[in-house]
Amino acid sequence: MTAAAEPLLAVRGITKHFAAKGPPVRAVQDVSFEIGRGEVLGVVGESGCGKSTLGRLVLRLVEPTTGTVAFDGTELMALAAAELRRFRRHMQMIFQDPFASLNPRMTVGEALAEPVRFHDGLGRAAARDRAAALLAQVGLGAEHLDRYPRAFSGGQRQRIAIARALATAPRFLVADEAVSALDVSIQAEVVNLLKSLQETFGLALMFISHDLSVVEAISDRAMVLYLGRVMEIAPIDDLYSRPAHPYTLALLQAAPGGGKRGGDRLILKGEIPSPSAPPSGCVFRTRCPFALADCARDIPRLTAVRPGHLKACIRDDLTL
Amino acid sequence: MPRVQDVPSIPPAGRADDGGALPPVLDVQDLKTFFPTDAGTVRAVNGVSFAVREGETLAIVGESGSGKSVTGLTIMRLLGRAGAQIAGGEIWLTRGDGNRVDLARLADADMERLRGSEIAMIFQDPMSSLNPVFPVGEQIAEPLRLHKGLSRRAARAAAVELLALVGLSDPARQVDAFPHQLSGGMRQRIMIAIALACEPRLLIADEPTTALDVTVQAQIIALLRALQARRRMAMIFVTHDLHLVGDVADRVAVMYASQVVEEGPVADVLATPAHPYTRALLACVPRQQRGEKRRRMTPIPGTMPSALAVPSGCRFHPRCAHAAARCIEAVPALEAIAPDRRARCVRWREIGP
Repeated sequence: MTAAAEPLLAVRGITKHFAAKGPPVRAVQDVSFEIGRGEVLGVVGESGCGKSTLGRLVLRLVEPTTGTVAFDGTELMALAAAELRRFRRHMQMIFQDPFASLNPRMTVGEALAEPVRFHDGLGRAAARDRAAALLAQVGLGAEHLDRYPRAFSGGQRQRIAIARALATAPRFLVADEAVSALDVSIQAEVVNLLKSLQETFGLALMFISHDLSVVEAISDRAMVLYLGRVMEIAPIDDLYSRPAHPYTLALLQAAPGGGKRGGDRLILKGEIPSPSAPPSGCVFRTRCPFALADCARDIPRLTAVRPGHLKACIRDDLTL
Repeated sequence: MPRVQDVPSIPPAGRADDGGALPPVLDVQDLKTFFPTDAGTVRAVNGVSFAVREGETLAIVGESGSGKSVTGLTIMRLLGRAGAQIAGGEIWLTRGDGNRVDLARLADADMERLRGSEIAMIFQDPMSSLNPVFPVGEQIAEPLRLHKGLSRRAARAAAVELLALVGLSDPARQVDAFPHQLSGGMRQRIMIAIALACEPRLLIADEPTTALDVTVQAQIIALLRALQARRRMAMIFVTHDLHLVGDVADRVAVMYASQVVEEGPVADVLATPAHPYTRALLACVPRQQRGEKRRRMTPIPGTMPSALAVPSGCRFHPRCAHAAARCIEAVPALEAIAPDRRARCVRWREIGP
């Protein structure tokens, strides 16, 4: 592999089990994928699929049970705490609730200046100038520098959270349900902002969301998770127009306006099993309308349907 | 049966019924709900009119602050906490016996008897509506004992039947489960069972699937539609999701800044939205068919006006791509644009479908 083709992020066999009363919660199970430089990978799935844990794992905000994450050739798991702290400037995260990640007692200017003072050692005046420049990047004027988070609307707060994430000029951003709490008209605004920043700065983005239409709007590729495992991963247009895994099809048809009204929509029975006791073999088989006896035996491997389009399903005979 | 006395039960003349047809189950006329605040009066619902017929679902769609939820709460007369008042308008409910009552002027005690028996409501968060210390069966049995006078034993048997109706597996066992033992989707099924226990004529569902995963949301929507078809119940489905409207409703009323800006059959409104706000809302999250080229999300410029400072004229004019001088002068009427459609836009003809 040449240096240019080397991915920015390479995740190998990452697994996270959380200790619990009784059997451990298997939040993420043997997940491997790559994100290219400047690429947007959407991560979709329902509650309990492990998508948020996965976002924290790739930034090493939680320690994996097993598995590795390489960022631009640097093995994250090998870094000591102080090294990791310095390294974090390359990788940032934004969350669903920007209010929870902004200190209510800090003005926006102070919140934006803090990371540049820590990472770049800028003085007070230089840091304030940089804060104003960051606000401008997310479409807010310098007059907002001395205001507190409570004075802003939800969409504005998410812009501020994005500005703060950009403060250290990262090359990779994890956005965890970053627009889920916003009204649709503001969702579009924030998604377009993220997309234009991603294009301008060549940022790579891992965009985690339960909302398939938002993922479709922003992603180059998407990965579908169910009970901690990858069901399917493919270029975005291919995934939405030619889903190869029954779960992906069910998700697409269940999405509002995504399926035909009436009886011919695929409606899954039951609910997601507990991640403490996932089904044997294919974890989706208990809700899959196409499951066979064999599906209970082996964990299906991710195999290529087409170049770049992988699915974890042994049924190759289905026309979805 | 509950009895309602001392209320006007003859509707005023000149109501828009399509001659000979049954009167709508609910007929809301020029409804106004105001909240007094320190900063001034918030007109949360300001002149809203619509009707819902038997077996029909009307979706009320809008963003935060549009007044959609307050409209539902006003019909249920559940405004108490925030000091909100019905400041005008009429809410005519056609009762099971054919009499019509104006819920806006009904005495509290009479309203209490109607609530849970003839009209019922479900909410986004079933956990906050369910009592954590009682088994779900008792909570389903309660309205049956209260409104229908069933014995404890008969109410329990009915609760088991209702649990089966809303699709819970093993209802004879689940009837003794506590809310915390159930998943979010199952809790919402329980709420639906409680709401349907007394066979209401009208169900108001306020974002009932917003907190659920999409595959579970699809289940709940299918359940609501099946139950509604079976019982010929009228339903008001309050949601922020314009695309969900197409899956659940027959008609839709789009609300913006306390007013209905467009109303009509769902398929028509989604296919050829007449009001610029409806169009803008659809463009925020475009849906494409398989194989169609990907469209970019288009935000609506500007922000939702504060309820304390609504713009003059058309409330959407500061954000509207089609705004003209006359849009600022007077509040546009909700005018008929087709036999079964209305829009609150003076330029609907010029801007075309």
